[in-house]
Amino acid sequence: MTSQTLPQPLYQHIASHTIQQLEPAWLQLKKGSDCIIQAGGAWQHYYPQQPQVGQQATELFDVLIGMLPITEHFELPQIQLQDGQYTDIFALSDHQHDWLLFCDVTQNTLQLQQYQQVSNDLILLKAQMKQTLHRYVGHEISERITQGEMQLDAAGERKTIATLFVDIRGFTPFNERHDAQVVMQTLNDYMHCMLPSILQHHGMVDKIMGDGVMAVYGILASETDCCFNALHSAEQMIQAVHTLNQQRLNQDLEQLGIGVGIASGEAVLGILGSHERRTFTAIGRHVNLAARLESNARVGEILIDQATYHALKQPRTFTPVTLTLKGIGQTDIFSQTLPCIHNQD
Amino acid sequence: MIQKKICILGAAGVGKTSLTAQFVYSKFSEKYLSTMGVKIDKKIVTVDETQVNLMIWDIHGEEKYKKITSSYLRGAAGILTVIDGTRPETIQTAHEILDRVHTDIGKIPNIFLCNKADLTDAWDISPKQLDELKQYNNPIYNTSAKTGEHVEESFVQLTRMLIKP
Repeated sequence: MTSQTLPQPLYQHIASHTIQQLEPAWLQLKKGSDCIIQAGGAWQHYYPQQPQVGQQATELFDVLIGMLPITEHFELPQIQLQDGQYTDIFALSDHQHDWLLFCDVTQNTLQLQQYQQVSNDLILLKAQMKQTLHRYVGHEISERITQGEMQLDAAGERKTIATLFVDIRGFTPFNERHDAQVVMQTLNDYMHCMLPSILQHHGMVDKIMGDGVMAVYGILASETDCCFNALHSAEQMIQAVHTLNQQRLNQDLEQLGIGVGIASGEAVLGILGSHERRTFTAIGRHVNLAARLESNARVGEILIDQATYHALKQPRTFTPVTLTLKGIGQTDIFSQTLPCIHNQD
Repeated sequence: MIQKKICILGAAGVGKTSLTAQFVYSKFSEKYLSTMGVKIDKKIVTVDETQVNLMIWDIHGEEKYKKITSSYLRGAAGILTVIDGTRPETIQTAHEILDRVHTDIGKIPNIFLCNKADLTDAWDISPKQLDELKQYNNPIYNTSAKTGEHVEESFVQLTRMLIKP
């Protein structure tokens, strides 16, 4: 709609209402310069004194430094000339003069700021939640959960997964020999080198129990090689601890030896707990078997069950072993040992 | 005295206003207050015995539906592009902002500030993303508006780049 299509009294009403709200002030500048030749309007809103003829606009307003003379029309919206006060500045020119128009937009801007604040707070909160989730379940899974592509529900879902348990051999006596703060620092160093091995192979950290970690692989529907991922994780973990041990050796600190157990099979994945405290977990026969294998693994040893061995296409690096496992009995499994600790001599 | 306009740009919540407040007033507030439009601060910086009156344009955070007005960039001699080290997605915004700066006013000196260095435990920037930033051949500083780490250095370094190209 233009001024021509609106009856004159209505147009005048709107114009006077808008002008009253915007409290405009203006400067007429000498063409092609920043020298003021006339000033008018409600200057008390924008500057302590009325600008004087002959003054330079850039001397009065830092915001205009580098902007003048006006070579093309431009607009500087929502400029804070004073704290908490917002001004739209318009630079215009005709064939005789250059003009600067100042309009007070504080009220509108403060309203917009409230919306913006809520929106930005939500963005930051979402990023924070995503990062927390990421730390528990890895980047890939957290992305799918936050995008609503994957749900964790209490009813549970059946899936074929590989479960890995790992912990430090002889950590209980280590704990007893050292101050709690030393133990905490040691565990943090250890977790820092261990956990990336899980997340980088699409695994999910299910539980951290002191020096022990339970991880599951195969949560994503697209992941078909959960056993390979679990094994590669285990190998990378032992390698990472081997590297950490080199640093500890240089610092004259005790070596850390880890053992790993992996088993695979069908499990139910779901949420366990009450409204007050919930946790995601995997329940299945092979989960218990993986835990038993880990507790029997020696330093640097990876023990895997038959199902995992066959899924891995019977790797030659593993040798068959028969163990009697607590609560399970005599079980045929497979073993591989990798260098984990350094000789301290 | 030499006067230079610099713009501090980046996604919302990366810490642009906090970095400016730390540099100009040596102050930090934990409270996050979203910037609207532009706030201009000044500080005289001495670089190798040359005094420079730095005009710092703290421009509102760029979001998908709220692009930076190109007239804000008019007359800028240099820019500080801020990234939140704990939010890798803010790197993408930095790329988009730099593309637009190059289109609107051409290539001017730039420094990347990876802010929130006091929260390095929560940092989430991958080596690949860092390599992409390095391809601009612009200095990269890990800063903390909270502790003041590398804040003064980065502003002074940009000033140096402006007067001694």
